[in-house]
Amino acid sequence: MSDERGGADPDFAPERVANAASESGDWLAAARERVRVFAQYDGPIQEKADVVVVGSGPCGAVAAYELARAGKDVILVEEGPPFTVRDFELDGNLSMTRTMREGGLRMTRGTTMPTMQAVALGGGSLVNSAICVRPPQSVFDRWATGFELERTNREALDPHFDAIGAFLGIAPTPDAVQGRRNLLFRDACDALGLSSEPIARNVRGCRGSGECFTGCRSRAKQSMDVSYVPAALRAGARVMTSLQVQAVRHVGRRATGVAGHVVVPFSGGSRVGRTHRFSIDAKAVVLAAGCTATPVLLRHSGNLANRSGQVGRNLQFHPGVAIAGVFPEAVDPQFGATQGYQSLAFLDEGFKLETLWAPPPLLSMRFPGMGAELQARYAELPRMAVWDAIVGANRSLGEVRVRPWSTNPVLHWRLHPEDLAILRRALHVIARLFFAAGATKILPGVHGFAEQMVREEEARALDSPAVRPENLVMGGNHVFCTTRMHGDPTRGVVDEDGRCHDLENLYIADTGIFPMCPSVNPMWTGMALARRQALTLANRL
Amino acid sequence: MLGSVFTAFLVIGAALVLAIAFQRRCFAGYPAPPPGLAVLHRGEVAFIQAAAEVLFPDGAGLPVVGVDAHLPLYVDHHLSALPPRQRLQIRALLALFEHVTLVQPAGVPGGHDRFSSLPPAARIAVLERISSHETLSIRILFTALRAVLSLGYLGHPANLRELGLAPFEIEPAVSDAELLFPRVGALPLSNRHLLADRTDPTHRAPLDPDGPRHRAYLRSSRDSR
Repeated sequence: MSDERGGADPDFAPERVANAASESGDWLAAARERVRVFAQYDGPIQEKADVVVVGSGPCGAVAAYELARAGKDVILVEEGPPFTVRDFELDGNLSMTRTMREGGLRMTRGTTMPTMQAVALGGGSLVNSAICVRPPQSVFDRWATGFELERTNREALDPHFDAIGAFLGIAPTPDAVQGRRNLLFRDACDALGLSSEPIARNVRGCRGSGECFTGCRSRAKQSMDVSYVPAALRAGARVMTSLQVQAVRHVGRRATGVAGHVVVPFSGGSRVGRTHRFSIDAKAVVLAAGCTATPVLLRHSGNLANRSGQVGRNLQFHPGVAIAGVFPEAVDPQFGATQGYQSLAFLDEGFKLETLWAPPPLLSMRFPGMGAELQARYAELPRMAVWDAIVGANRSLGEVRVRPWSTNPVLHWRLHPEDLAILRRALHVIARLFFAAGATKILPGVHGFAEQMVREEEARALDSPAVRPENLVMGGNHVFCTTRMHGDPTRGVVDEDGRCHDLENLYIADTGIFPMCPSVNPMWTGMALARRQALTLANRL
Repeated sequence: MLGSVFTAFLVIGAALVLAIAFQRRCFAGYPAPPPGLAVLHRGEVAFIQAAAEVLFPDGAGLPVVGVDAHLPLYVDHHLSALPPRQRLQIRALLALFEHVTLVQPAGVPGGHDRFSSLPPAARIAVLERISSHETLSIRILFTALRAVLSLGYLGHPANLRELGLAPFEIEPAVSDAELLFPRVGALPLSNRHLLADRTDPTHRAPLDPDGPRHRAYLRSSRDSR
């Protein structure tokens, strides 16, 4: 039995990979037996477990591992398939089509913005850029005072951050794989007197291929499918992929399991892609389906866990804006960590600055114009860097609504004027950084304004009230708060242990439980919360 | 009685005329599409090529121009991979642009013709009008169309290679994921990896920015990728 802080993970220390040659193959054969993939399903499925964890993203994978390590019989359910390196698609667009829900074409309504959710074993960790940030205490202070949370602070969570950091090898990105476009950002911050640092990532042995978003062919990125999910298997968990959970079954105040259908890989989970039924009985259910999917699942389960009326409400994002800067010489942007440098200098103002790279055709979607003008922009790509800001838009609220006959949500969200002001300010700061780094021009990507700016003075226009939401090209990077944690059962969905106020044994472990957006990348925080929940749940079972 | 019959004939006749007009507008007169397409019909292929010609014209320095970039093949591949709802949305987008001149003529003789039948200058005018529209949701339509096509155009192996932006050649690693899971759609028995195959990412050096690029991008044809 573990205490709430958990212990070290001696079986899965960082050197385990290096010692692979001396390992016995026994665990591999046993672990393979505990994996189920689409091709193996030939009829209705009925299983039993102590705990069923729905969703294999960072939070679900950590929960499954910790519960299995505590000796519980765990089934980790994932709607997407496992991807091997040979399943990765180099073309960014086709990769998104295969790894993202709704083919990567999901948009918010209200303030229109693309937003994505992965559907793959490992969830978003397979296709994110592995950024790990431990939020400052000020974030937790806001959570504590606004949401009656006494035990959710840095002191309580640091042991969990530490354990996960050691397990995944979270470390600052080394200079050797930064590449020029990341180091230019560092130089720009230095020139403006702003603090900056290499981004800490869950990566071991990055080679700088810049392809985090399409899957790391070097397998340096410690996405869940190469880290926590295999560890959970080694600890005895079972992993069932291509299962779409459509309902949480329950009797009174107790969840009794989950049910749904087998789905064909890449069918988008639509009705035509469903085959056999499945049902899993469990003593406890952990929902880690993601901030936009978990509320839909609860609503489809008879509006479960919603006496507070908060399920699906309070939707928050980190809307992001980016600017491309063109330098006089080649930047060789294809080489380097996808996101290697960041600045937290403006965190108190509500935004974080980062470097960014993606497959060039995806980046080019935001270039202005057409014809020869557009092609001329493409020709500038080798001299280009892209830097972005994510904004803690905690005044901009929305809602996850249920689409009839579908597990995909409808997302309504509106950008609040005060958050818009932060976005404007962030755009101006990015522009200043580019000129400080020696860029000859920037492409701000703000409709109705100059398509390119060649002097810093021009960029002042980006921080003017004339910039409205409809002028901006934003991306909704991280999603929060749709099943928020609150000490008061009438104002939140789960308590500090992630347990639903309304049910004795239903837990939620994804970023939906965040009471407010944290203004920094949420993966590590979500995992730390999930680890604490799992250890608590293991003690209760 | 006679009046009712006459009215019925009129209604049926009008419906027939409309149906014929619809058929002619939407389906007639398109050239045969290239072989091997799974989703796109000939009208969509014609539209894609017509849009590609003006979006990515000759003379801008990239080795492949729009009409030679096999964009119908690329879009067809993309649509095939999309879930049904999103596939329908993209196809509706293509149809909307092809027939937008019904309600917004191009401003040249024959301006009501299908987009793919317009001369290049008129096509540019149609796209510019939509791209600079004051309403965000209409501008987004252009952005979406351009995105669908530019993903295929800039993603063409020859264009990325010319820009030095093709993916690096990387020997695929073998991690716990490759040991544990089969390829998508395959049975576990198909996974032949042994524990000894596992690679250690920490033993590999950073890539050389000028190093070799993925072999699929060394060929010029999209078909070969």
